Amino acid sequence: MKIVIADYGMGNIKSIISALNYLGADNIVVSADYETLKIADKIILPGVGSFRKAMIQIRENNLDKYLEELAVENNKPLIGICLGMQLLGTSSTEDGFTEGLGFVNAHCIKFDNTDLKVPHVGFNQLKTDSESKLYAGLPNESDFYFTHSYKMVSENEINQSYCHYGSDFIASFEYNNIVGVQFHPELSQKNGLRLLKNFIEKF
Amino acid sequence: MLRKRIIFALIYSDGFFMQSRNFRLQKVGNLNWLEKNYKFQNIAFSLDELVVLNATRQNKSITGFAKTIENLVNDVFIPIAAGGGIRSVEDAELLFKSGADKIVLNTALHTNPELVEALVKKYGSQSIVASIDYKKNDGNFEVYINDGGTKIDLNLEDYLNYLERLEVGEIYLNSIEQDGTGFGYDFDTIEKFESKIKIPLIIAGGAGNESHFMDGLKYKNVSAVATANLFNFIGDGLPKARLKLIESGENLANWNVNN
Repeated sequence: MKIVIADYGMGNIKSIISALNYLGADNIVVSADYETLKIADKIILPGVGSFRKAMIQIRENNLDKYLEELAVENNKPLIGICLGMQLLGTSSTEDGFTEGLGFVNAHCIKFDNTDLKVPHVGFNQLKTDSESKLYAGLPNESDFYFTHSYKMVSENEINQSYCHYGSDFIASFEYNNIVGVQFHPELSQKNGLRLLKNFIEKF
Repeated sequence: MLRKRIIFALIYSDGFFMQSRNFRLQKVGNLNWLEKNYKFQNIAFSLDELVVLNATRQNKSITGFAKTIENLVNDVFIPIAAGGGIRSVEDAELLFKSGADKIVLNTALHTNPELVEALVKKYGSQSIVASIDYKKNDGNFEVYINDGGTKIDLNLEDYLNYLERLEVGEIYLNSIEQDGTGFGYDFDTIEKFESKIKIPLIIAGGAGNESHFMDGLKYKNVSAVATANLFNFIGDGLPKARLKLIESGENLANWNVNN
């Protein structure tokens, strides 16, 4: 099992690697190289920071083209984590309107309810589907760790699960082989480890 | 529902972890010692977050501190916020690369707002925790920087407004007078300011047992309760405290799944 973490210079890669190591995955490579991504069994798209800056760096590294070919055209399992998930959508209004990778039909906007503390930080519960592969073995309303100021929303069916903060927003989606999680599974204790294990084993 | 959080703060100084009381430091042990005596990895399974603060008084070395973070992050699957002595974007970058998920700023908030703005822009508000050390003095709320060594010209209320404009992500509000006492949080101050803080608020300074946590969690605008009290909470103190709080219905996360 070869897992490649797509490297564009943004993201807390170390926590992801230590969680994968804990689960017994030892062939983990951090790279933006096409040939390396091509032979991966799974690809992880991490991300912390600004959407606009991330897209600039992704394009500079040609990761937009590589990921489109490998994940969209050739169905290689891909998981986007936190900002990495948001990048898989069509756009975000963070730091001005910016187009995303557009692999799923959903977009990101700021939490706008003035009664809410923003960023949304801490563990929050999810409404999940019992048919989900990603949440296999995890009860509905399981807790996962979030930290973000922008949320993903969509009118479309992308096999999403929801979290509630002021209103419902997309906590995750399992769109065929393309998965996104707004929360940080690598920082979500045993629940997060189980979810990563599910991604490795079931996708 | 968004859960509230229990946070442990490890106070680091020059290669060792410390017990702090009113900002006076007492050496407890290094990382190996902490692992060996207190099974820190197990304790982390009952924490929502870890804060690691470099309180080294002279010659704060960010590289030595970063190395400790790097070792700490293995097998701890919770967010780690690290800080103390961050004076440049490169310092912050080193801590993020070493495994920190957030950084904690204190002195630089006051002395270098341009740095704070650059860090917010680069890493996002949610990655920046603003740590405030304060004392009450004759009805005034005084703010201190440089490990509690220097009083600044702004009072707490003005300082909070200033930090809000800098778009930091969270406030870590620490009472110098309650620090390490185990007497409970400074609720006078928390009551006065909690509703004015529009971003997540972490309270620190004084927690000595789980009933102090419970008292803190009651406040609507308190997002997290923190303790740095190694003596009172390490060992099975924290797992037991968390369990008691969950059993009494506190809004805390559950991780009961078997892997």
